[in-house]
Amino acid sequence: MDEARLAARSWRVGVLFSQTGVTSPVERTQLHATLLAIDEINAAGGVLDLPIEPVIYDPESNPKQFRTLAERLLGVDRVRLVFGCYMSSSRKAVLPIIESYRGLLLYPTLYEGFEYSRHCIYTGAAPNQNSVQLARFLFENYGSRFLLVGSNYVYPYESNRVMTDLVRQNRGKIVNEIYVPLNARASDFDRAIQEIKKTSPDVIFSTVVGQATARFYQAYRAAGFDPTRRPIASLTTSEAEVADMSAEVAEGHITAAPFFETLGTATARRFVSAYKARHGAEAPVPAAAEAAYFQVHLVAAAIARAGSDDPDRVLPELAESEYAAPQGRVRIDRENNHTHLWPRVARLDARGQFQVVWNPGVRVRPDPYSMVQSLEEWSPDGIAGLAAPSDVG
Amino acid sequence: MSIQILRDLRGLRVLVIHAPDAEGVDLVEHLRRIGCQVEPAWPIPDAADSADVVVLAVDHESRGTIQRLRRSFDGIPPTVIAVVGYEDPSILQLVLDIGAHAVIERPVRPFGLLTQLTVARSLWLERREAAQHIQKIERKLAGLQNIQRAKSILMAAQGISEDEAHQTIRRKAMSKRVPIEEMALAIINANDLLNSPPKLT
Repeated sequence: MDEARLAARSWRVGVLFSQTGVTSPVERTQLHATLLAIDEINAAGGVLDLPIEPVIYDPESNPKQFRTLAERLLGVDRVRLVFGCYMSSSRKAVLPIIESYRGLLLYPTLYEGFEYSRHCIYTGAAPNQNSVQLARFLFENYGSRFLLVGSNYVYPYESNRVMTDLVRQNRGKIVNEIYVPLNARASDFDRAIQEIKKTSPDVIFSTVVGQATARFYQAYRAAGFDPTRRPIASLTTSEAEVADMSAEVAEGHITAAPFFETLGTATARRFVSAYKARHGAEAPVPAAAEAAYFQVHLVAAAIARAGSDDPDRVLPELAESEYAAPQGRVRIDRENNHTHLWPRVARLDARGQFQVVWNPGVRVRPDPYSMVQSLEEWSPDGIAGLAAPSDVG
Repeated sequence: MSIQILRDLRGLRVLVIHAPDAEGVDLVEHLRRIGCQVEPAWPIPDAADSADVVVLAVDHESRGTIQRLRRSFDGIPPTVIAVVGYEDPSILQLVLDIGAHAVIERPVRPFGLLTQLTVARSLWLERREAAQHIQKIERKLAGLQNIQRAKSILMAAQGISEDEAHQTIRRKAMSKRVPIEEMALAIINANDLLNSPPKLT
């Protein structure tokens, strides 16, 4: 173990999730899950007998704040590992700082792909790990005339490009593509509601993020549309966004993700009940929180094996390492630093809870540079039959 | 066309001509991550046959071998992306000589490589299409010149008007089922033969 670390008497890590601002509802769950994992590790004796000590800042959903605070974490607080970021704009702001200090960012959020940095581990879903499965489910159950509604930034554009491609492969149609401001008010969705009335699509694919999500679903319900026949389908509407809706507004809508808080596996139940014990029975536990949780455990195991938190020594230990995450066994891919995950599709029930309606039971290899997603090929990583976790535990 | 370029990037055969040091390994790994079929090569080979794209380290020491490689590009040259560590005029001259479609600067890092590859491939396709277009126009122009010459020959030999000469060539071409340009060339060749002085033996 390095001398400096012994002197410090702890493993200091940086934690950058927004506690205020537009995406704070979901980022707070990532913060809570990160701290839950750290507490679990410390309660079990820490890593090589030293506790993990989080240095936590609130970047306020603002990329400039993210950059400033990353600079402080690496330059002043001298941490080398940072857990954080939700929106791509914040990751893009933080990564150059992480790279210049030769640190490591652990990024627990689904995103649009087309990135690799040796200094970043991506533990959320790439488009080939959620869009393809969602599209297949929607085509089979609802049809292939889609209206796309998204927040105005990079993730929605790229998600919509991927979805458009899949719809075309299925000989379907995109009836329109509408963007609203990042922190859209209820009235910003008027046009989308008019378009739904006018074009009568089979599915609305929403890439609206953050607090605007509930406003959109409320407007949809208020307009009298029936989600059981024509749902809003999403990759970004998680338990965190649904927490802002009534069950009546939420019921019937569809989301694809590798984790839902209602999963019945033993590891999932343990994780969810530990989380709720700390934050209340009503506290939402989305996939973004699950990734934030398991990535801390992956890193702690890697530090223990490396005997150091030096990213140059932690990285080789992280590559190809496996961990029994709540969603199933996950693995970091040596080639692209993304994570092998278990896609699932769920529908919101009458109590506003996600119930898995399709579990392909396949762990999917991340393919962040996939130009063309294929409905038929999802690059399963070969352990499908071996360890497919059952969702009803 | 632009979306087709993106679709085709995966599966491109990329020859990475770079010393097998850390940067060379990074280049190869990232191109594989993107989904290209990558083959590393070092030292600089004499030819890059079969490669769609050549990523080439350009420096002073390799001046001679780079120029030899350039001369081996006959027919349609590959897409070339130069990797440079300096931008002094003599390096720039080499970059131009090799016909680079894009440049990557050192230190090499993953971000930006996909963009350079896309832009380079797009420029290469545009150039190739432009070259094919020019070739077609040149052929057409040569054909028109031949028709003009054939008409002059017929006008002089048969004392007919330009329009009559044109009709004659066109009818002949139609009856023999050949393009009018080919008919014109036949007339020119026949005329050359008839008018050439007998060879002294």
